[in-house]
Amino acid sequence: MFDPYTNAYIIILRDDGNAEMLPIWVGKPEASAISFAMEGVATPRPMTHDLMKNVLDTADAKVISVVISDLKDNTYYARVHLLYDDSEYSIDARPSDAIALALRAKTPIFVNDDVIRKHSSEEMDRWLENLKPEDFGKFDA
Amino acid sequence: MEDGMKNGWVKLAVQGVMSDAIPNSDSQVVILQDEQKTQTLPIWVGTAEGTAIRMALEGVIPPRPLSHDLIRNLTEQLGLKISKVVVTDVQNNTYYASISLSGRPSELTVDARPSDAIALAVRAGSPIYAAQDVLDRLAPENVAPWLKLLGTKDFGGTV
Repeated sequence: MFDPYTNAYIIILRDDGNAEMLPIWVGKPEASAISFAMEGVATPRPMTHDLMKNVLDTADAKVISVVISDLKDNTYYARVHLLYDDSEYSIDARPSDAIALALRAKTPIFVNDDVIRKHSSEEMDRWLENLKPEDFGKFDA
Repeated sequence: MEDGMKNGWVKLAVQGVMSDAIPNSDSQVVILQDEQKTQTLPIWVGTAEGTAIRMALEGVIPPRPLSHDLIRNLTEQLGLKISKVVVTDVQNNTYYASISLSGRPSELTVDARPSDAIALAVRAGSPIYAAQDVLDRLAPENVAPWLKLLGTKDFGGTV
């Protein structure tokens, strides 16, 4: 989805039961990397995240999952979990790259419970910050 | 270096990234040159890839890893090294490249667009080569306009 207010794109993640929803703002190249994978668009040459997956495939490294692991000061953090030579690796990533890779590797995307909680509270903070005195005016006369 | 000679490869360095001469074009041009600066290879890349290359050349450390930083971090963590990237071929104006990874018993190669290969090489400090054949097939009129701009203020990210 395109967000005209921030001139950025929004990725909407939902859980299986549609009970939780997490919007993540991403840049244009990352948004197209994600929508290409969702729509099954095959490009004549490997795009950046196709290359990422091809590098891992060639090295026999397997993406197990990606996790949206944290939210700090409006920035989401993700981790890519890999299996390589019988060892597990966890690598820091932006959620946009992690999601673009997960869709190509057909691996699950998880969101840490904390992130959902923090997301709701940061949203509340933003709402409170944006409140102006006149918003209260209509109630106190 | 020796196998480079054997395979007819020329070692190149990125001289800079600049906007395409066509106004409102969505592409940027990466200029590569050999050590003697006698051979020049311009490669057209998308804005995102051009920016990725420029940022690494300028030593900009982004607060969060960008896509090519992530690929480098993935390979590093797995103990693999990007040993070189090679612009291998050009067909119908499309350039082909390969990325070589060392750290396993045998060297691995992965097919890539030159833009991604160069963006990785400048982050991993890996040498960039082009097949001599690719350089030989460049029409001089395609190279001349960029040579004129080399070193001028229009030229971003000069190394």
